Amino acid sequence: MVPALAIFAANAIFPLLYALDVSVRNYQLLIPVPPQFIGLENYARILSDPLFWSSLKVTLWFIAGVVFLQLPASLGLALLFDSLPRWAGIGVTILLVPTIIAPSVVGFQWAQIYNYQFGPLNYLLGLAGLGHPVWTASPTLALPSLVAIDFWEWTPFMVLLLFAGLRSLPADILEAARVDGSSYPKIFLRIMLPLLRPVIGIALVLRVLMSFKTFDIIYILTAGGPGAATENLAYYTYIQGFRYFNLGYASALAIIQLIVVAILAKALIGLTRKPSFAGAA
Amino acid sequence: MIPTFGAALRRAIRSGFALFILLLFLSPVFWMLITAIKPPGEWLNSPPIFWPSHIDLGNFAEALVHWGGFKGLVDSLAVASGATALSLVVGIFAAYSLGRFRTGGENLSFTILSVLFMPPVAVAVPMYLFWRAFGLLDSFSALILQYTVFNVPFICWVLKSFFEDIDPAMEESALVNGATRWQAFLHIALPQARPAIVAVALLSFIFSWNEFFFAVILTRARVTTLPVILPTLMEGHDIRWGSIAAIASIAALPVICLAFALQRYLVRGLSFGALR
Repeated sequence: MVPALAIFAANAIFPLLYALDVSVRNYQLLIPVPPQFIGLENYARILSDPLFWSSLKVTLWFIAGVVFLQLPASLGLALLFDSLPRWAGIGVTILLVPTIIAPSVVGFQWAQIYNYQFGPLNYLLGLAGLGHPVWTASPTLALPSLVAIDFWEWTPFMVLLLFAGLRSLPADILEAARVDGSSYPKIFLRIMLPLLRPVIGIALVLRVLMSFKTFDIIYILTAGGPGAATENLAYYTYIQGFRYFNLGYASALAIIQLIVVAILAKALIGLTRKPSFAGAA
Repeated sequence: MIPTFGAALRRAIRSGFALFILLLFLSPVFWMLITAIKPPGEWLNSPPIFWPSHIDLGNFAEALVHWGGFKGLVDSLAVASGATALSLVVGIFAAYSLGRFRTGGENLSFTILSVLFMPPVAVAVPMYLFWRAFGLLDSFSALILQYTVFNVPFICWVLKSFFEDIDPAMEESALVNGATRWQAFLHIALPQARPAIVAVALLSFIFSWNEFFFAVILTRARVTTLPVILPTLMEGHDIRWGSIAAIASIAALPVICLAFALQRYLVRGLSFGALR
């Protein structure tokens, strides 16, 4: 049983060490000279690379979408489904369809929806007299369009987690509060929300860390464009590594992402483990 | 308590609203399915055609035969089931070891968990060079092994806490009665873990079936999974929307069916074992 573990550990640790090694060399696949050690030059170049900073900003947009849109919406929807008598469970499973289908299928579906000329969305907007935006081809609307897809794809996932959390709340406490005559908003704020806090934490941690990986819908719908308007860190790293074959530079980008993700993970996990529920409401 | 008219009305409004939300969330999926059965002239229309004049299954035939859909289906199935089987074998043993013997303590478990949150792009370059060095680019083994590397930490994490919760007393009494550790694991621990194993198998399969990023980087022409075929068909001028919709539907329907068939395992899997 331990050998299995050893194989796995080697598989996970090797790429990290190797990436670290490549990141301090000027490794370019298209130039047939042996890569040289250049120290931290790749890292220094990244810090003065405007495309790095703009891709970081795009990544932060996706995270903002998770925190400010997906979390409140999923909390509301989880409460809604929890209040349904019979078909709540099957309803949440149906809602999950966008999450479980392949992200590249999601990309195709939204390419149809956002189609400038023939898409159903612009048709409906046209009926309402609201114009014909070009969505993913527009410098201003492209990023919000992708954040909207992310919302559609992943809010159901958060709903599922919060719904399961709501269903596992101690029924007797909620019933006692109701019998005592507490109003629903009060029960929600004083009892449900504090009890739900660990689950909300788990959902938030998972989604924030996952949003760093957003790649497929960008690849399919905008290829990072127009310009670099929808190029997030993951996509920019891909471009550097597998379009320009600047493997050294891409590895340095990757290491920076790893550090950011590790710091975030540590901070967020600490947040969810806080034992005191006092300030939660 | 007798439900009053007001309470019944509120419940009806809530149900109606939930139904509306479901329809809204499913509409892009419906649109794809409808496009897949539209005859060619109705794919693109202004105004859009919301229901085809007749059901045309020609898109599926064209997608499967001309656009590599059949090969994609076979390749996806091979990669996803291969990766799921391999990850389960490695993952179950590792999780049992972690959960029962506390191999490596909390630190090792946390290191394994952290691999889950690694952005795939961060290991893309080393893994690409790694498989290239072995001449395994564009091969089934590379993709299956790659997905196994991602599935195993997930399986470990979910199953570890599960094995910890199983009372070791039964296994110990089996050991006292002359069973080997292997027998105790196989006949006592494993059957009890079945629900959790189904959950991680389901999620591993869905992940491997859907995975896009490494499939794009590690494969070219010999191995073409369904998610990779899609964007290649969406380039150029004469986009065959109906056929692409057919391939997308073929890629989407198996995981949807699996998820509904194994509905009660979905929560445990998706929540990384944090919720049951």
